[in-house]
Amino acid sequence: MMEHHMLEIRELTASYDDFQALRGVTLDVPRGKILCIVGESGSGKSTVIKAITGFPGLTVNGGRVLLDGEEISSMPRAQKRRLLGERIGVIPQNPAGSFNPIRVFGPQFKETMKSHGIAYQKEDVIQSFTKMGLKDANEIPGMRPYELSGGMNQRVAVAAAMLLEPKLLLCDEPTSALDVNTQDRVIEEFLRINKERGTTIVMVTHNLGLARKIADTIAIMYQGRIIEQGTAEEIIHTPREAYTKRLIQDVPRLRRQA
Amino acid sequence: MKTRSKKTRRQLLIRIGIAAAIAMLLIVVVVFAGAFAPNDPYQTNAAFIRKPPCAEYPLGTDNLGRCVLSRVIYGGRTTIAATFFLVAVSFVIGTVIGILCGLFGGIVDRFLMRIADVTLAFPQMVIALAVAGILGGGLGGALIALGITMWVSFARLARSHTLSIKNEPYIQTALLAGKSTGYIVLRHILPNTMAPILTNALTQIGMTMIGISGLSFLGLGVVPPTAEWGSMINEARAYIQIAPWAVLAPAVATIITIIVFNYLGDAVMDYRDL
Amino acid sequence: MIKKIAGKIIGLIVILLILSFFVFLLLYLAPGDPAEKRLTSQGIVITKEVLQAEQERLGLLKPFFVRYGEWLLGVIRGDFGLSFKDDRPVAAKLAAGLQNTCILAMASLVFSLLISYPLALLSAMRKDRIADHIIKVFSFIGNSLPNFLISVLLMYFFCIKLNLFPVIADGSLKGLFLPMLSLSIPMISRFTRQMRSEMILQLSEDYVTGMRLRGVKERYIAVNIIRNSLGHVITIIGLQIGTLMAGSVVIETIFRWPGIGKLVMDSITSRDYPVIMGFVLVMGTIYVVINRLTDLCYHLLDPRVRT
Repeated sequence: MMEHHMLEIRELTASYDDFQALRGVTLDVPRGKILCIVGESGSGKSTVIKAITGFPGLTVNGGRVLLDGEEISSMPRAQKRRLLGERIGVIPQNPAGSFNPIRVFGPQFKETMKSHGIAYQKEDVIQSFTKMGLKDANEIPGMRPYELSGGMNQRVAVAAAMLLEPKLLLCDEPTSALDVNTQDRVIEEFLRINKERGTTIVMVTHNLGLARKIADTIAIMYQGRIIEQGTAEEIIHTPREAYTKRLIQDVPRLRRQA
Repeated sequence: MKTRSKKTRRQLLIRIGIAAAIAMLLIVVVVFAGAFAPNDPYQTNAAFIRKPPCAEYPLGTDNLGRCVLSRVIYGGRTTIAATFFLVAVSFVIGTVIGILCGLFGGIVDRFLMRIADVTLAFPQMVIALAVAGILGGGLGGALIALGITMWVSFARLARSHTLSIKNEPYIQTALLAGKSTGYIVLRHILPNTMAPILTNALTQIGMTMIGISGLSFLGLGVVPPTAEWGSMINEARAYIQIAPWAVLAPAVATIITIIVFNYLGDAVMDYRDL
Repeated sequence: MIKKIAGKIIGLIVILLILSFFVFLLLYLAPGDPAEKRLTSQGIVITKEVLQAEQERLGLLKPFFVRYGEWLLGVIRGDFGLSFKDDRPVAAKLAAGLQNTCILAMASLVFSLLISYPLALLSAMRKDRIADHIIKVFSFIGNSLPNFLISVLLMYFFCIKLNLFPVIADGSLKGLFLPMLSLSIPMISRFTRQMRSEMILQLSEDYVTGMRLRGVKERYIAVNIIRNSLGHVITIIGLQIGTLMAGSVVIETIFRWPGIGKLVMDSITSRDYPVIMGFVLVMGTIYVVINRLTDLCYHLLDPRVRT
């Protein structure tokens, strides 16, 4: 029997009401690798993640999503909920806002753990903060989101996504709200997670330069389709599609290298 | 995304159309009450006191032998006419005040807006009740009592919309061209502020109707024998055990009318929010 | 902070002064002579001398502002004057009525919240599903029903048709139920509508998306929604205080609940002006104060504003 990839997407189509957002997306993400989906806004790149995780208003019309060889696109709601957090960690577009702004972090982590049938141990949570390089980690469960900086909130969100050690991490433009310095630190964090824990990462970004820094493979998306796919070097140095070439031209540093 | 709003837009227009049609029907029935009422609403009949619905009196008679259906139709005329009158007067007064305040600003604006704030700081119906009570009943008293606070929402809306378009280039152009203030108000400001203010008027209808019939029910509005839904219900509730139709008929009429106008107001508001 | 609070208190005092002036003006402009009213309502035959003596005794012959000042000083000391009808102090009458009205209003408020909060939550969490549509239709209809109609209809069905409750609401718990229900139905509808839209707003917040993506159970999401919409409850209650007051007048009259609303309707019938004035003053003050307090509470409940 053939070995499964971590994530296999086959001919996935999805739409918002009458708008066809995904027109047949096929992707393979090998275990332990980092894949970046790159495209302009409206290309459907974020929709790929939303179609995997389930999003109100988005209808998946066809295709299959396999997680570790297991079909998940047609899973019942309750089962799918367990999947999120346990086997798939997700970092949304605005990670800093992914916690209830007026409650302290502790109970919010507790709710996440109890939802997955795991007893809440404060030490576990603090340890997950320490792993993310957060200072004063044992203070954080008693703090509220607005008491932390944007970058710290970001790390807490990554800690939450990685809390139950999922094997797959989906990130939707996780750095777009951050300044350049913080961006670099967060990217390093992702690379470290990938290296130390062997987590497979799918990252959606509009930033080809960033993708090149982090990705093993890059998929270029345009109008709801993957138009080109390859290793980072292949995409940057020998792009086949005119659209990809244009994307490369738009990033000054890459233009010079190409 | 675009197609979606188009779809809901069409649905909303259908909803508005249906509600408006029913509202028009109600208005036509009460305006031409004479043509629709089977009997004289004030004609008492000693032989037919508190009789259940029959061919001659489709909704029965009250304790003076008057035709309940005819009284409901004529009563609707009182309630609906009083409501429209009050909303229209508040509309005109409020809009004029609002536009003038927005246009000229200054001390008059500050004074009037402060009055508006103060008016809203007090419980409307409590004030209305006291004013109507002290004025000693009668429709006029009830209208004044309710009108004291009603102009405010119109004035505020008109003022804010006037302020927001006052500095638009086309108005500045008109000013430079030497057009008079009156011309600018009629030609530019009124047409541009009408839609939100009319919507507000529409949403006020249901509330006003509840207010008028409520005051009449308490004996502080329309005084018997004039037919009016609230006062009819109040009169007839004394013998509700014997002749429930005399209460239920005006009650159902009130409920339907308020629901239709509220529905229309909501639908128009939703449409404008789209 | 202290400056801010002082400013608020001064604003409150100014508003209350305006209210008192309005109330006094109302009485001043009221048709008919109070002295005459008072004498007739006590069944005394009016002669010129008697009338003049009465006017003198009531201080009606003094200038307007002197009368206002004296009246206001009295009001501040809790002296609202004497009832025309029976010469009993208005303050005592109002206090007795207010107590009963508070029982009714509080019961309705608690009942309405207990019913509407779960309904709103259900409606919001199941948006555009069947439960939501049913709740929306009912809350729309409830919102369109005048209090007096609900009372009359409830009385007809429960007291006369089904004979379940007494027609006159005595002080008993059973007597409280129908007036409370009448007062609650429109309020439940409004609470549900406003709470639903607030909760839908909360559900579209990033933190809910975040929780869903962490696989948090809907139950816990509901808990967070409830927690975050609590501040809004206070605003909503504040908005309904006026309706609650007006509604209690109608409902107390219909069910003969011995509250301040029934008292004022009786006083309007017998043209007992001091009681009417006292009523407006008391209700107006309560309304203004509660509105300011809800404002304050809203700020205190939100830790972002608190700091």
